[in-house]
Amino acid sequence: MAALGRHRACPYKGTNYMTVNNQNIDTSPLVDPACYAAATAAIRAEAARLFETGEVTAVVGYRAGRRAGTVMPEVAVTAEAAAQLIFSPGCQNNLTLFLSKAKRDALPKGKVAIVVKGCDLRALAGLIGESQLKRDEVHVIGVACPGVYGAAADHSRPLTADSAAKKCRECKVHLPEGVDLVAGTLPELKELPPLEAQELARLEAMTPQERWAFWTEQFSRCIRCLACRQVCPFCFCTQCLCDRNRPQAVDTSPRPAGNTAWHLVRAMHLAGRCSGCAECERVCPMDIPLNLLNRKMAQELYELYGFEAGTQPQEQGALTSYRDDDDESFIK
Amino acid sequence: MCIPDKNIYKPHLATIESIVDETPDVRTLRLVFQDEAVRENFAFRAGQFAEYSAFGSGESTFCIASAPTRGGYIECCFRAVGRVTEALRRLEVGETIGVRGPYGNSFPIEAFFGKNLVFVAGGIALPPLRTLIWQCLDWRDKFGDITIIYGARTESDLVYKHELAEWQQRSDVRLVRTVDPGGNGPEWDGQVGFVPTVLEQVAPSADNTIALVCGPPIMIKFTLPVLEKLGFTDNAIYTTLENRMKCGLGKCGRCNVGNVYVCKDGPVFTAAQVKAMPQEF
Amino acid sequence: MPKTITEQNLHHLIDALLAEGVRVIGPKRADALTIYAPLANGEELDLDQLPRRSAKEAFFPPCETILSFEKRDGKITVSDPDLNRLPETVLIGVRPCDAVAPGILDAVFSWDYDDPFYLERRKRTTIIGIACTSADDACFCTAVGCSPDARKGSDLFLVPLQGGGFVVEAMDGKGSALKARYEALLATSGSAQPLPLAVPAVDSLDLEKIRTWLAGNFEHPLWQEIASRCAGCGACAFLCPACHCFDIVDEGGEAGGCRRKHWDACGFGKFTMHASAHNPRDVQPQRYRNRIMHKFKYYADKFNQTLCTGCGRCIRWCPVGIDIKAVLDEINKK
Repeated sequence: MAALGRHRACPYKGTNYMTVNNQNIDTSPLVDPACYAAATAAIRAEAARLFETGEVTAVVGYRAGRRAGTVMPEVAVTAEAAAQLIFSPGCQNNLTLFLSKAKRDALPKGKVAIVVKGCDLRALAGLIGESQLKRDEVHVIGVACPGVYGAAADHSRPLTADSAAKKCRECKVHLPEGVDLVAGTLPELKELPPLEAQELARLEAMTPQERWAFWTEQFSRCIRCLACRQVCPFCFCTQCLCDRNRPQAVDTSPRPAGNTAWHLVRAMHLAGRCSGCAECERVCPMDIPLNLLNRKMAQELYELYGFEAGTQPQEQGALTSYRDDDDESFIK
Repeated sequence: MCIPDKNIYKPHLATIESIVDETPDVRTLRLVFQDEAVRENFAFRAGQFAEYSAFGSGESTFCIASAPTRGGYIECCFRAVGRVTEALRRLEVGETIGVRGPYGNSFPIEAFFGKNLVFVAGGIALPPLRTLIWQCLDWRDKFGDITIIYGARTESDLVYKHELAEWQQRSDVRLVRTVDPGGNGPEWDGQVGFVPTVLEQVAPSADNTIALVCGPPIMIKFTLPVLEKLGFTDNAIYTTLENRMKCGLGKCGRCNVGNVYVCKDGPVFTAAQVKAMPQEF
Repeated sequence: MPKTITEQNLHHLIDALLAEGVRVIGPKRADALTIYAPLANGEELDLDQLPRRSAKEAFFPPCETILSFEKRDGKITVSDPDLNRLPETVLIGVRPCDAVAPGILDAVFSWDYDDPFYLERRKRTTIIGIACTSADDACFCTAVGCSPDARKGSDLFLVPLQGGGFVVEAMDGKGSALKARYEALLATSGSAQPLPLAVPAVDSLDLEKIRTWLAGNFEHPLWQEIASRCAGCGACAFLCPACHCFDIVDEGGEAGGCRRKHWDACGFGKFTMHASAHNPRDVQPQRYRNRIMHKFKYYADKFNQTLCTGCGRCIRWCPVGIDIKAVLDEINKK
């Protein structure tokens, strides 16, 4: 298949800030594909058991799409449908999206089971912390995940260091903890040099003017499809600020004013909540590196308050609580 | 200005000549076009709608509530519930609003000549029928009996109160006013009961009669079976649909019910047409 | 004898057009992303990739001002954008799935009321299409009546040749005029063969059968099955060459501002919501159903055309992997 749209070698190929890493990129398969098959078998076995015992009304997982290697979320409500669930490098979606109140109506009533990767589990902890659900309302099938594709990967080929999502290169949660079952086992993983951390460092080294120019250019491409909002497990506001029109806080048209306002509002509202799944960035059809904003906010909160989102269910985030020793030096 | 008059999205400017507060949150604006040629040539038929702008806030869709037989002005009637309607409500006499239209189809009034008419309206849905009622009253000799059944939740929710009084005085119109149980004050001299129930009690003959129904979806839902029981066929019942609209011109893609564009194929439909549509309105 | 043009001369053609003040829009690469954008010179033309967004934006931009208003001393003045200042434009490097779409959209933008913003751009634009020699597994143009070498919608058509260069075919008066104007850049065809076309390997669809099924299955469990996963974003609609829904908004303030038309999508929850909060399409499956119905039934009923050209963008970029071709295949089997 020739290159078209999504199918290209590297998401940032040709940009000077990535070329330094190109020599490090390895195009051999990252792991033995058999580990995905083992996780698939374990998920199916658990789903079958859950339907047999009647413990759950649905299993939220992944199933194969029509095209080779593609995947889509599946709300399996029967044992037959659950027998089709899979785990593969195409399982990019953060399925905890379906547990927030924004998407909850897609699920049947009753206890559900959900397939989560380690990174998704952080979102689940956040959602529990924000009272979106209780831990005992969900049966968590964690997956021992060696990594998934990045947005630009060719789904028809095995996962390589080159095609893995950027978040996977720096992942510390390949093996989810505190779940009801771990599906699969983790193979030995190669250490991969970070890309996103370097990119963030590059942005931080810029002057404010350079950084403003960078983001102005990025936001200029935004078409306001709101895919970033719609896939975010934490964007569950019944009335999103950008949909409110009395007053119209954020212009709805895809122009510089509204685009900038939207992305900054979004970054601010996710500060201290974002679990770093980077789904917003993956789904952006205009390749806006949104996770850099999220990650920067997370970094700031860690430096200021020692706070990290998603490590455990926490009722109060860094920005909704106060401690006497909070750093207030930023108040001038 | 280039390509004059080609901008289909450009409204005429109109001045607010008078304001009537029909209920605490429903307001009528009487509008006079600022351009003399528009003032003289603006023609519409009962049932058509327009897009009204509060510049800076946007456009909103309402029917033209005045009668085509009353020239020199048009009227609109709206409840202040959103960004645009609240902005329209902030405007005062003498201020400017934009008007695009008239759009959509209309009541086939010529087909009603020589027939009896029964108007059934609920709440703020009287305006789309009021335009036709006045036209029929202005052409009174062309129609048989005219019956108007109009209800609202409470007395204060009745719109066009002064006109209701006028219709009540006329010997050539039968007006039945009703309010929902509990919506009547001590001096209420009309009926108490939901519109479909009152319609059943009034029981107008279906013989050589056209029914024109406008109201909230729940009222329509319960009124149609009553009309059927009274002997009205689906082709003798007319209603208007409203859906969210932006362009009013059949382009922006949001007002469709199935393959029917409310803005162009409607807003006036027979009950037979409504029943043939997917139930998505 | 057929005429050909070398790749270098195609770049020269772009440079010559630009020198004459013609705006040239074509696939242009920025970072890894290729989109249709005004070209600054011929070298910028990137024919390798299907642009991420479709060519519809040359006629129906993501956002445009339809009027501006100003309030001074209590008096409001309204002015239109000057459409006569829209530049003469050549849209180059357009693959058939994109080139065919503006012709489909002509119907809705000239239905009773002529939308001057769309139609004036159409009038002033010459489309140079190109036969498609690379496809991926999301492409399905042949299943919906288009093809990798469909000339429909192109004024001038390029057929890539083995070893480089293109055959140049004029499809209509506009194309002939352009071809005649730059005759000097063309050569008489040699022996080079055209590059093989990229024919998508997909099952065919019976669009009439699909339309009939849709007519009878407004209520069907399929909608819930497919769309329970739909996240409700507008990526599919915004990338689509044929989706044409839009919003109209006032931006600025009461003292002055602009009224703008911008892309909107039936997948958004608020798209059909009334001010009263009543929503005829209250849940995602209803919205997804409208998307399919609009493309394969409603538009066909009204204008005898299908609102889909098989470009595959909605498949490539759906955040939750919804595959319109798989949906159509399933309906086609019923």
